[in-house]
Amino acid sequence: MTAQALRALPSPRAAALGRAFTLALIWLLLMPSAKPGDLAVGAFAVVAATLVSLRLYAPAAGSIHLRSLLALMPHFIWQSVLAGFDVARRAFDPRLPLQPGFVMCPLDFPEGIARNTFATITSMMPGTVPCGEIDGVLEYHCLDIREPVVESLWAEERRLARALTAGRRHG
Amino acid sequence: MAEFLTGAACFILLVVAVGLVRLLRGPGDADRLMAVQLLGTGSIALVLLIGVVSASPALIDVALTLALLAAFAGVALVRASTTRRPPDNSQ
Amino acid sequence: MSALLDLWTVVLVSAGAVFYLAGTVGLLRFPDALTRLHALTKADNLGLGLVVLGLVPQVGGVIIGIKLVAVWLLVMVSGACVAQLIARLVRHGSDPAP
Repeated sequence: MTAQALRALPSPRAAALGRAFTLALIWLLLMPSAKPGDLAVGAFAVVAATLVSLRLYAPAAGSIHLRSLLALMPHFIWQSVLAGFDVARRAFDPRLPLQPGFVMCPLDFPEGIARNTFATITSMMPGTVPCGEIDGVLEYHCLDIREPVVESLWAEERRLARALTAGRRHG
Repeated sequence: MAEFLTGAACFILLVVAVGLVRLLRGPGDADRLMAVQLLGTGSIALVLLIGVVSASPALIDVALTLALLAAFAGVALVRASTTRRPPDNSQ
Repeated sequence: MSALLDLWTVVLVSAGAVFYLAGTVGLLRFPDALTRLHALTKADNLGLGLVVLGLVPQVGGVIIGIKLVAVWLLVMVSGACVAQLIARLVRHGSDPAP
């Protein structure tokens, strides 16, 4: 458990620009067209989406380092493939091998974007779905609590520590 | 290839329809919502398959809209069923 | 080459359909709401991913292929978010928002 905020938070201006740039990229992927009309609608959508995102997620709540996160993409996708196989194996098994239960997973990520992103990503991992927080500690539902769930979540935390910058700690 | 893709689309449609039994049985709001989410992802695959069979890329945008609707439906139902009754930890 | 691409499509789309089947079987067989949630989100995500990857060689264009994959990624992210909301609803029955 050595996940510390390795990177400084970007300035609010840089955060806004970064988000607008990312959203514009997504728009261009989904609407690959260079007609002025399409681009105008896209620009409007990007500005609106950026404003909403800044309102819902203040830049001080933390930030995501997109390139590090993208570098981890193959790992996440492979994990979600394993998760699909894991569920399919259990669903088709006549004996229905399940040992569902809850575990608490204390993390170094404080509340904010970093922890929420961590929760979202780990919800695609084999056998775990985050189902809320108790006193600031993430609680996970597991398909099989006989497996070392918390250890593998901590391994993911170490992987993600570089990609997710935590928000300012309270106090 | 078109026959195969149409067949796959029919298969997924059938599988999703069977999954909707969960919508009837429940027992909770969450179970019914899950059946609706299954309908969401299933219909996305269906629309993409049909889009390729009929060579109409515009159907990809239909699939995107379905994804958006599924997400909104999920958020809206969670919101509605949490404000409708007081929180309880009996489950 | 085209026969190879067709084989790719047949194998991946079929595998995707099998995972859709797994999602439905899990949704019907698993004993409680939270385990059913695992079945739904994980199996269907992979099913859609395999169908999308299988379709990519058939759409006749790199840009449309990228768009297909983007659709899958967006579905994956939104599915993961909704899954967490459902899990919180089942577990705590209360509004997750602070």
